[in-house]
Amino acid sequence: MKRIASIAFGWLVAITAAHLSLNVDWNVVRERRLPIAKRKLNVAYIPVT
Amino acid sequence: MFQGFPEIKEALMSNKMQAGFMVAPMAIALRAQGVPIKIVYLGHRYGSAVVVAKNGPIHTFADLRGRTIAIPSRYSDERLIVFKALKQHGMSGKDVKMVEMAPPDVAGALAADAIDAFSMGEPYPSQAEMAGFGRVLFHAREYWPDYISCVLVVRQDVIDHRPEAVQVLVDGIARSGLWLDNPPRRQARREHAADFVGRYYFRQNPALLRWALTKPLDRVLYQPLTPLRKDFAVIVDLMRETGVLDRPIAFEEYVDPQFAERAKHETEWRYEPGDATAQ
Repeated sequence: MKRIASIAFGWLVAITAAHLSLNVDWNVVRERRLPIAKRKLNVAYIPVT
Repeated sequence: MFQGFPEIKEALMSNKMQAGFMVAPMAIALRAQGVPIKIVYLGHRYGSAVVVAKNGPIHTFADLRGRTIAIPSRYSDERLIVFKALKQHGMSGKDVKMVEMAPPDVAGALAADAIDAFSMGEPYPSQAEMAGFGRVLFHAREYWPDYISCVLVVRQDVIDHRPEAVQVLVDGIARSGLWLDNPPRRQARREHAADFVGRYYFRQNPALLRWALTKPLDRVLYQPLTPLRKDFAVIVDLMRETGVLDRPIAFEEYVDPQFAERAKHETEWRYEPGDATAQ
């Protein structure tokens, strides 16, 4: 029982870590914590002149 | 860097991007739908063309009847210019088939005969010309003097809370435009700009951008970039006429001219090809 619980816990930790690394944009999270005046202004463009 | 205007629209609406360049009718339509953005400056003037296959059967505008023309979006000046030309030749929207296509895909589609023509901003007309399979049927300015395509839009919350950052952005564009369009140095500066923008920003062959910026030198112009009421009135009228804007909209509702007004006093960047920094 203890072994199953530790495998499940390990799986949960691995999946959570994978999610946090693949699906969360940490730059955006960091940016949102900054005061408005210090945030970066992101400018979108497509490669046309 | 994005590959299409609809993606830029989504990024602005979700606040992932706070400013962006997009086709003017899309910005006006978004504002009319209540999206909190404003046009603060232009990206350039001219620089759009209708391109056909070099050795194909289309030689005059009338030959476009019944043909398929790719456009970047139904909310684009490239679509409106086709309508303007159709009207001038006694034709209507029913005489051609317009399909939306991401700008980077149009030259390949023309080469593969998937479309008969495309109406697009540079450097895609240049790409088709340079590769030898495309021919410019007409440049937008031939039917539309003072033609505008891309505009700079900024989210209203950024305008309200960070006007100084918006001003820095607009001033930088104004200075770049003056730098690129300085008559005696235009050729050398445009060639230099093509090199570094191609390599470091657009990830495109610098030779392609060199073609777009110098053949001829006024193919795309970077001043005047102040949004003018009379230019936008033409766009709004055409949008209403072609069914992509369902209500009249006042200039003040979609343009905030304060940043362009202040940028009028700017001078070109002090920078020559080879300098380490610009001032």
